[in-house]
Amino acid sequence: MPTTRTGPHPVAVGAVVLLVAVIAAALWNSDESGTGARQVGEAGGETVAPAAALPPPVPGASCAPTITNPGGDNNYREDAPLDVPLGRGLVITGTVRDTACRPLPGVPVQVWLQTALGSERENRTTVLTGPDGRYRVASDPAVAQFGEPNVHVAHDPDESPWRSVWQRHVLHPEDTLAVVDLTLAPVS
Amino acid sequence: MRGLVAVAALGGALLVTLALAAPHLAQASPVLVVSTLAACVAVAALAVQPWLTRRRVGAHVRVGGIVAALVAVHVVALFVESPDDALYSMSLDGPTRARMALFATVLLVVVTLLGLLRRRLPWSVATWRFVHGSLAGLVVVLGVGHAVLIQGALDGWGTAVLVALGGLAAVGVVVRLVRVLRTPPPGGGAQRSPTTQPTQEGDATAHDRGQVRPRDEAHG
Repeated sequence: MPTTRTGPHPVAVGAVVLLVAVIAAALWNSDESGTGARQVGEAGGETVAPAAALPPPVPGASCAPTITNPGGDNNYREDAPLDVPLGRGLVITGTVRDTACRPLPGVPVQVWLQTALGSERENRTTVLTGPDGRYRVASDPAVAQFGEPNVHVAHDPDESPWRSVWQRHVLHPEDTLAVVDLTLAPVS
Repeated sequence: MRGLVAVAALGGALLVTLALAAPHLAQASPVLVVSTLAACVAVAALAVQPWLTRRRVGAHVRVGGIVAALVAVHVVALFVESPDDALYSMSLDGPTRARMALFATVLLVVVTLLGLLRRRLPWSVATWRFVHGSLAGLVVVLGVGHAVLIQGALDGWGTAVLVALGGLAAVGVVVRLVRVLRTPPPGGGAQRSPTTQPTQEGDATAHDRGQVRPRDEAHG
């Protein structure tokens, strides 16, 4: 002790101040909804965005493959029922492309999310993309699960010529549309 | 003191009522309900903790044990509810709110251990009080902050009650820390001397006066 009077040891004070600084920095550098998760929801309705979300394929163009974000494969299960409606009020859609930006038809995409009646662990379906490379899942609105409404979109079938990819993104409970596009890279 | 306990108890009852009434828990599993309610009670208990250090150290120790147990129930129940999401929340890639909860939980363990090991640590009274108190203040800020950021059972009025209870605890930490660090404990603060009587009311706890039996601490 530097003095005979009372007072916390300077090392203790310094350690606590340093700890506060480290925690503040760690919180400052964290992503609000988790690393790589972004807002994908829109309250405007289904007709607004998807048309704009599909740029014309340009010859020689290249699209960066979608990167699996942390938490993307949370509660993923391979055995999702095929093309089952998950309710109404929210549409989860997006376009699946290859790295040359060409739409990929007939590609299975699994979607799962927490709704008022279905938990994230049970509430899921797998759909195939249409001729324009677009998939579409109708669902009840997303509700908060572990603190925030979120939606998972994945491509991970066995024997797929495309690499597996998992996405976890967030939206608002009142959103009626969630757009999650995937760009798939070939396996080899 | 009784008024504060009554306010905190009322706040805790409000949190539990609001959480149970919220649509978020309407279809939730019993495990998630238990997790949420344990956290509600823990926040209310935290609100009185700093104030109990003034001549109610026995109660402070017991309530501290209860808070630690409730937080353990909260975390374990979330893990049972969805292991994938719980592990993701505890990872470094989790959302900000989850990172706050992670820090708060680790610090709560440290604060509880500091309480249990107080007599074995070769620290001065002032040093121990500063570390235990300031880390406990961090637990309150991070823990309640995480609850405020969470969308779910405690939005709207629930958030208001959370902030009020957290504020009661945070103010208590500051007031008590300033008080005990300004007024020197007997023996100049170099080492505790349990036989010395305090010179002023409120500047020493029952610990300093040797009035807390080790059995109380062990049960805390």
